[in-house]
Amino acid sequence: MWDAIIVRPIINILLVLYKYLGHETIIAVTLVTVIIRLAITPLTLKQQKSVRKQQELKPKLDKLQAKYKDDKEKLAQAQMELYKTEGINPAGGCLPLLIQLPLMIGLYQGIIRSLAATPLQLLALSKDIYHWIPGLSSLIPLQSKFLWLDLALRDPYYVLPVLVFITAWIYQKMVTPPATDPQAEAMNKQMMIMMPLMTAFFALSYASGLAIYFLVSNLVGILQYLLFKEHYATSAVQKKS
Amino acid sequence: MKRWRIPLIAGLAVMMILLSGCSGGGGMRHESWPGLSIDDGTIYAANLESVQALDAKTGSVYWTFPPQPEKNVGPFYATPVLASDIGPHGTLLVAGMKDQKVYALQLADSPQDLPEVQWVFTEAAGQYVGSGVVAGDLFIIGNGDGHVYALDINDGHLIWSFGTGDRVWATPVVKGETVYVASLDHHLYALSLADGEEQWNTEMEGAIASTPVLAGNSLWVGDFANTLYQVNAESGAIEWQQTFDDWLWATPLVQGTTLYFADVGGKVYALDTTTHAFLWEKPADVGAMVRARMALDEQNHRLFVAGYETGKIYVVDTQTGARLDWGEVVDDPGELPADLVLSDNTLYVMPVISKTRIRAFDAHTGKVLWAYPPAESK
Repeated sequence: MWDAIIVRPIINILLVLYKYLGHETIIAVTLVTVIIRLAITPLTLKQQKSVRKQQELKPKLDKLQAKYKDDKEKLAQAQMELYKTEGINPAGGCLPLLIQLPLMIGLYQGIIRSLAATPLQLLALSKDIYHWIPGLSSLIPLQSKFLWLDLALRDPYYVLPVLVFITAWIYQKMVTPPATDPQAEAMNKQMMIMMPLMTAFFALSYASGLAIYFLVSNLVGILQYLLFKEHYATSAVQKKS
Repeated sequence: MKRWRIPLIAGLAVMMILLSGCSGGGGMRHESWPGLSIDDGTIYAANLESVQALDAKTGSVYWTFPPQPEKNVGPFYATPVLASDIGPHGTLLVAGMKDQKVYALQLADSPQDLPEVQWVFTEAAGQYVGSGVVAGDLFIIGNGDGHVYALDINDGHLIWSFGTGDRVWATPVVKGETVYVASLDHHLYALSLADGEEQWNTEMEGAIASTPVLAGNSLWVGDFANTLYQVNAESGAIEWQQTFDDWLWATPLVQGTTLYFADVGGKVYALDTTTHAFLWEKPADVGAMVRARMALDEQNHRLFVAGYETGKIYVVDTQTGARLDWGEVVDDPGELPADLVLSDNTLYVMPVISKTRIRAFDAHTGKVLWAYPPAESK
């Protein structure tokens, strides 16, 4: 079900792009990442907007917490009323995330599967191809050489993992909302290192085609931030201050 | 907001680890499928971390090479090949996938004794997936670096090599003074056996992972463009072709003028090689993916087909294409991408993703004769 709805369409989009864009896997991976990231941009912005609103509401929520610190029921009631008055859905940040995440996971899996390098991986890929689209079967295995890279293998010179780390760090720094207390600040710092490290680790450990996906994904995220700054919590809070 | 950030990070970390696990990340994970050959009552099996010789009747192990698993040896997937005329008791040629080496094991006087490593060929730059072929004093094998290597079996020296445009996973085929090589670069090549000089090449629509099969003066081969080709072995001209529903990866079987072949989607066909007429009203659909070369029983009445993901053996009547009941249900059948081998009325299978590495069935009754490793040692 998951494969049929999410992963296979992504694989076949990638194959169609590969077919019509000069049999260049790197271009197909880049484009399919950009397309999916752009397709979910409205959801990303909606989520960021929700995060920003929550951020703006934080001083009022803190006041309520101080006021009703001994009465949890009243606190919850007051918080709900505040959300209602401000027109905020407290779960508003989650729904877009719930839609984005499967797509991002599907994209990740689709790219990995398309870059099949071993016999068993190729055999598994045969199930994912839409044989009714003429010419897709004959594209396999994809041409995976690009400069010094074999996109189905790790980057032997670690260039991509380093780039992934740098771009992930920049992106993380951009989208992390400003801390309102020391605990949050410590957590922000931790996240700003942990997330880039984690993606760099995966870029280091797996096919370099996946590292291309991380890199492009980070770059699209940075571009989105630069174009739609006002939706992000950081700028909003900065403006206020 | 800080409340949901920690679970989010932890969730993302777990998710990525799980995803990487799904994509071939860690542990002992199969990358290909093993193979076995049988000679004079002895099975020679590429058994992942080792090559083993077993008694074909009982499944008891004669020897294991290397005796203890070694990190930088293997894994062994390519079917071992016996050069029975080289060395006092024959030489077994085996190839490691990741170590990128070919080993020549000189068999000992007794089949129970561990053979001696005669030489090791280390010049290939890619992985060995498919098996090789013996032609006189030469062992010819394709490699993931796109080359075909012809080695002197006596000392392991490289006699010639030939480069194709992509990986060579199919076993080369030799007829007379010509070697036929199929490559994932979509080409079928004919090379001179003596020096590897190219005689002709023919471009197919898709990548060729399947080993071609010779029938008379024709080579039959399938590709990833779902097409079966009949190629003139002398000129390389395509004499007939037809496209089917799925990839053709299993090496076809020839019996007289009948060619049996299956697509990856699980449809099995019987084709008259002279008239190109299909012998059955409709293909036999086993309802499972088929990657493995099929096997015919000794009377040529029944065709054994391995279902890849189901791990089941399906039996098809060669006259009608009808499915026949056969075999007992086995525990832990695993998956069956590896070629079936039928010898002396026994069908041998090598499952992957199963605790059983080799299973022997009575070809008549379908009863399991033995399994290796035996149940008590799993």
